[in-house]
Amino acid sequence: MVIVLSGSERRKHRHQFEQLFRLRYRVFVKQRGWSLPVVNDCEIDQYDDDDAFYFLDLDDDETIQGTVRMTPTVKSSLLADYFPHLVENGQSPRSSRIYEATRYIVLPSQKSREALRRAKGRLLSALLEWCLDKRLSHLQTVIDAGTLSSFVEITPQTMPLGLSHPYGGGRGTPGGGDCMAFRWPISLQVLGDIRTYAGTGGPTSALGEFARPDLGPPPGVLLH
Amino acid sequence: MSFTGDEYSKRTLDFVQRLQGLTDYEQICALIMKELDWFGFSCVTSFSIPGPGCHLKDSIWLNNRPAEYVERYEEKNYVIHDPVVKELRRTMTPYSWGDVRERRDLKKSERTIIDEGREFGAHDGFIIPIVSLSGSMALFSPCGRDPDLSPRARAALEIIGIYSHHALTRALIRRQREEVVHTPLTPREREIMQWVAVGKTDEEIADILSISTTTVTSHVENAKQKLDAFRRTYAVVQAIRLGEISL
Repeated sequence: MVIVLSGSERRKHRHQFEQLFRLRYRVFVKQRGWSLPVVNDCEIDQYDDDDAFYFLDLDDDETIQGTVRMTPTVKSSLLADYFPHLVENGQSPRSSRIYEATRYIVLPSQKSREALRRAKGRLLSALLEWCLDKRLSHLQTVIDAGTLSSFVEITPQTMPLGLSHPYGGGRGTPGGGDCMAFRWPISLQVLGDIRTYAGTGGPTSALGEFARPDLGPPPGVLLH
Repeated sequence: MSFTGDEYSKRTLDFVQRLQGLTDYEQICALIMKELDWFGFSCVTSFSIPGPGCHLKDSIWLNNRPAEYVERYEEKNYVIHDPVVKELRRTMTPYSWGDVRERRDLKKSERTIIDEGREFGAHDGFIIPIVSLSGSMALFSPCGRDPDLSPRARAALEIIGIYSHHALTRALIRRQREEVVHTPLTPREREIMQWVAVGKTDEEIADILSISTTTVTSHVENAKQKLDAFRRTYAVVQAIRLGEISL
């Protein structure tokens, strides 16, 4: 089940936020070697404020199996603040109708390609529905250039904002690589592409709650 | 603050946008070749690494290396020994043939495989590995006499390769699906679907053609089946799309 928490509810959902920040520390600092601010094994940065929204895909034990943070680009944009050179199409990285996705993790408890695909589909379709609901024009994100193909495979609407540039010492350096930025238009078409991606494939794929091809009423994304 | 890019990014972003507007396989190929030509590439092979029991020729999405070169490559099973392909075990980052030569001492037989590209004017090439979400691996591999392999060109080519691969596979899968599904309509079914398309009911069509309504309904049902459509409206859309009827 995917829930959406507002950054203003950090006290109310203290345990979930703590689990989230610890997971982010484990994935981004320990595993990927990114140099990020850390307090007590929790990774929390300046964009973790009241305006941020957090998508959490929880399993039956309330363990986070997927998450992404959405921030309003007018105020909080990693792309604008740290990676403006990734935007090479002359457009502004800030807009009141564009949110930015950061701290994206998909880590289903069951380790199979099928489980990963379903988990990704759940998180991304919840994200798109939320964006549609907020009447956004686009979502944007900074990715490792090596992962571009997986987003283009989900939807051909994936629009790069520029070419890739090295960060943190470039490819081959621990914690470094090539990064780039892209936007997804917020449309039923992209949502349809995500649902198709989540719902087709092997025989084990039962049509999950986000995988209905008919684009009917939005499934149970809980907006807190 | 925002930056405007150089010729590399302008071209690449423009290419992606154009590609998004195309569904026809031939048009997609033409656009890709035109773009690669700007970088100095004359040929490209885009293929998925065949799984066990599968043949390379069934998983080629686009290829315009000369036929005799490809035949020999397949006959001699070069794909197993090609150092450029072997390099995939070490890296998933795009690299050039020249990079492979520089990275390690190649055996004579390995050098021969790379050098045979010269027979059709390919002195260097670029390999863009693409892992699909299902785990299979594909390569987008352009080559030419003296291609642009500057850092900016490489960044551009990586994006071009990824978008090209996905556009090609989408177009080919769509085409296969249409070929499999579509059984041609009989002249009578076509005639009746033409009337359905202008909004006539089965009773009205029966009247016009002086046949029974049951016969009309059965023709419409057959046509729907052939067009893989559950409703009349979609059957009309499909019939137009597949060129069975026109408006």
